[in-house]
Amino acid sequence: MVAVHQQRRPLIELRHLHRYFGPTKAVYDMSFEVYAGEVFGYIGPNGAGKTTSMRILATLDEPTYGDALVDGFSVVDDPDRVRRRLGFMPDYFGTYQNMNVVEYLDFFARAYGLHSMQRRSAIDYAMEFTLLDQLADKPINGLSKGMKQRLSLGRTMIHDPAVLILDEPAAGLDPRARIELREMIGRLAENGKTVLISSHILTELAEMCHRVGIIERGHLLAVGTVEEISSRTQTRSEVRLRVLRDVEGLMNYLRQRDDVRDVAVRQGHVTMTHDGGPEEQAALLRQIVDSGFEVVEFASKAKSLEDVFMTVTAGLVQ
Amino acid sequence: MSTVVQAEILDAGEGPIEGEPSRWARAWRPVEDWLIALVDRANPILVKETRQALKSRQFVITFLVVLVACWIVSFIGIAWIGPEIYWAAAGPTLLKGYYVVLAIPLALIVPFSAFRSLAAEQEEQTYELLSITTLSSRKIITGKLASAAVQMVVYLCAVSPCIAFTFLLRGVDAMTISVVLAGMVLGSMGLSMISLLIGAMARLRGTQVVTSVILILGLALACVGGIALGWMIIQSGSGFMREEEFWIVISVMLTFYITFFGLFHSAAAAQIAFVSENRSTPLRRWMMVQQACFCGWMAAGIYYELSSTSGNGANNIGEALVAATVFATGYWAVMGALLTGEWPLLSRRVQRSLPQSTLGRTTLSLFNPGPGTGYLFAASNLTMLIAVGLILLVFRGPATGRFVTTESIACLLVLSWSYVVGYLGVGRLITVLLRRWIFVPLTAAFLVQILLVMVGSFTPLVIQMTSRQLRNQGYSLLQISNPFWTLYELVNRGSSSVQAEVLVWIVPAAAVAVLLLNMRSVATELMHHRVAPPVRVLEEEAALHVPVVKPSNPWEIEEDDH
Ligand SMILES: Nc1ncnc2c1ncn2[C@@H]1O[C@H](COP(=O)(O)OP(=O)(O)OP(=O)(O)O)[C@@H](O)[C@H]1O
Ligand SMILES: [Mg+2]
Repeated sequence: MVAVHQQRRPLIELRHLHRYFGPTKAVYDMSFEVYAGEVFGYIGPNGAGKTTSMRILATLDEPTYGDALVDGFSVVDDPDRVRRRLGFMPDYFGTYQNMNVVEYLDFFARAYGLHSMQRRSAIDYAMEFTLLDQLADKPINGLSKGMKQRLSLGRTMIHDPAVLILDEPAAGLDPRARIELREMIGRLAENGKTVLISSHILTELAEMCHRVGIIERGHLLAVGTVEEISSRTQTRSEVRLRVLRDVEGLMNYLRQRDDVRDVAVRQGHVTMTHDGGPEEQAALLRQIVDSGFEVVEFASKAKSLEDVFMTVTAGLVQ
Repeated sequence: MSTVVQAEILDAGEGPIEGEPSRWARAWRPVEDWLIALVDRANPILVKETRQALKSRQFVITFLVVLVACWIVSFIGIAWIGPEIYWAAAGPTLLKGYYVVLAIPLALIVPFSAFRSLAAEQEEQTYELLSITTLSSRKIITGKLASAAVQMVVYLCAVSPCIAFTFLLRGVDAMTISVVLAGMVLGSMGLSMISLLIGAMARLRGTQVVTSVILILGLALACVGGIALGWMIIQSGSGFMREEEFWIVISVMLTFYITFFGLFHSAAAAQIAFVSENRSTPLRRWMMVQQACFCGWMAAGIYYELSSTSGNGANNIGEALVAATVFATGYWAVMGALLTGEWPLLSRRVQRSLPQSTLGRTTLSLFNPGPGTGYLFAASNLTMLIAVGLILLVFRGPATGRFVTTESIACLLVLSWSYVVGYLGVGRLITVLLRRWIFVPLTAAFLVQILLVMVGSFTPLVIQMTSRQLRNQGYSLLQISNPFWTLYELVNRGSSSVQAEVLVWIVPAAAVAVLLLNMRSVATELMHHRVAPPVRVLEEEAALHVPVVKPSNPWEIEEDDH
């Protein structure tokens, strides 16, 4: 009972979050929750408001209205408590002159108040986790994009925060580095961390996220698992079917229905556009069979995640 | 692990010592442990910047340049003095040279790099990364200051052998050298603090260049001034340092230095702190401290003056009072203009820490953030000072000044108070009104106050200058809203020249009216109650501070031991 309760405790909670920049409503009435141990994908096109809302969560900015809570603490009222349990990886890498990788991590470990052995083991762990062991003495100005991303992740997790907020960590990484990153995030989740991760690309996140939220123009359009969202958005699909005989009769039957359009015959198959999700499709098939048609093939082209994304978002930019 | 140890430049000293440790090693061990612990707990920014500086080419080059400059000064100095060096007191000449060599890094380079290091954090966006750590804004500023101090010490060390050399050449004594060096160190730290404050305020990218240029000019000016002052002290030697007055003046200056340092430190920390933080109360505390120091020194000064001129009764108290009034009025006018610009809404975080008890609410509410309490804070502090001044006047009776009459001092006290209270109050009302429609940040509110005083002063001036009849008449009651001319005239020409008998009724009446007009909104600010922290915070507090079961009496421990 206790364990269940613990698991459903929201570690990140947005409550009617608004952030305006003059006339621009970068974030508009956004509310959702992310639970302990969950990896939550945050997806939206450029200018959707991902960075803005993440910065508010990271106590770098303040909401115009509403509030955001991390582990129950308000980012506005208790930024100090939020900071203790939150790591933020921004979409830029803040660099220092004349500094190498260990010194960089050491500095942030000190800044988070870690002392002596605690600090050393934290640095060691972060370097091992992000595969930076080999680069310990490398000046940070000479790091490649991928190395910087890893170091940035190392810095984010140096104080062992319960909540990690990663703003487009995969941007600019090669395919191999992306896979490595995905593994790292998987391991973080296994260790019980709550991760909020943003991206433009739904497919990129689909595999590693338990749930995703799709936002556009500051509005939260959909929240849920990828399957939930894609089934919810499957409102129209291309259906193709083949019957043994009486193609003409089938076409007439279909043309009378309201939920079917663009009926045509192509290469012996009847194709059409059907309004409705999987449930409606099953009903359609049953009704066709019940009407006496001998169906030998029924196929509906499921939408790819890209299509889902395109359906959910309208491609509007502000 | 090995890589970490390798890179821990300052934490070195790991690994067990093989065999039997020698006596020295055993004696050294605690010192070493202590040093390691010290570096471990040191301000992160200090550690980071020291490491960076050790690797930075710019730092090494300036250090070498200072060294080379010292040699050059030595050679040129010795060549210049020639064979006289064997008998004449050549110390001061060379010391002046070294002073210049040291003044440039200390007054220019150290403060400017402090400014730059804060600005660079913002440009490279590392500041954001730093600000979301658990490091407080105070510690960030302290770390930057400490790094400046370390740099300063390094430069001092470079030049110290040369300075020791001037001592050997005779002509300067240890006292002079110490005073000059101490002045330099304090000056350098003070300038660094100011530069940091400016760096913390100059958040906007576009203003960085302008700010840098102005700052460099200011620092250069301070550097030249410092050199001039240092040379003067070196030239005159330590003779005057044996006078009591010298040390009194030094103490006065030190109190102001320390309190302004604290005030600026709090102000810089407030600039970079999170918005919901209480950024006003620490500043007000420092202002209170300054007020107390000011009163203390004034009292000491008057006592000193009275005890030294008891003979004929003529003394400088009148002049001192005028100077003190001008200073105090200016101080509270500026601070008041800033305080009345504060944002009126208290964050929930601030509301949690408001004074709660009846005693606390009556005494400490003036320290709560907000423009209304700020106005009242400035006004009541000024009132206190003015009241003390008036009491002094009354008890000392007439003829306290050589040039000013008691009457005009009394008028000055009353009028200064009225002008400050009146103008601040009107400015605050304007800001309150403006804030109904637009966002007025503190800087804008401060500008409103300045503009208001300028309008009040220049409008009658322009009217008088453009009018044919009034043009050559000098001061008239038309200038009643011009505090500068009015008070100047009052002090220089006496109360009759400004029709003080009229002024002392109208101006204070207006000021009191403005004060009363402000009272309603001030009262609402004072009514703010403490709000309870959220349950989650209480939960965590309870979890963090599990009450330690302490023995209630000394005998319990004994029982446990048995
Ligand atoms: N400091 C700011 N001042 C003014 N407008 C801003 C500011 N920051 C963000 N915005 C605006 O808010 C909107 C959301 O921006 P945000 O950076 O959050 O988008 P994003 O989802 O992170 O986009 P991207 O995928 O390109 O990173 C944009 O229209 C942007 O122009
Ligand atoms: Mg972004």
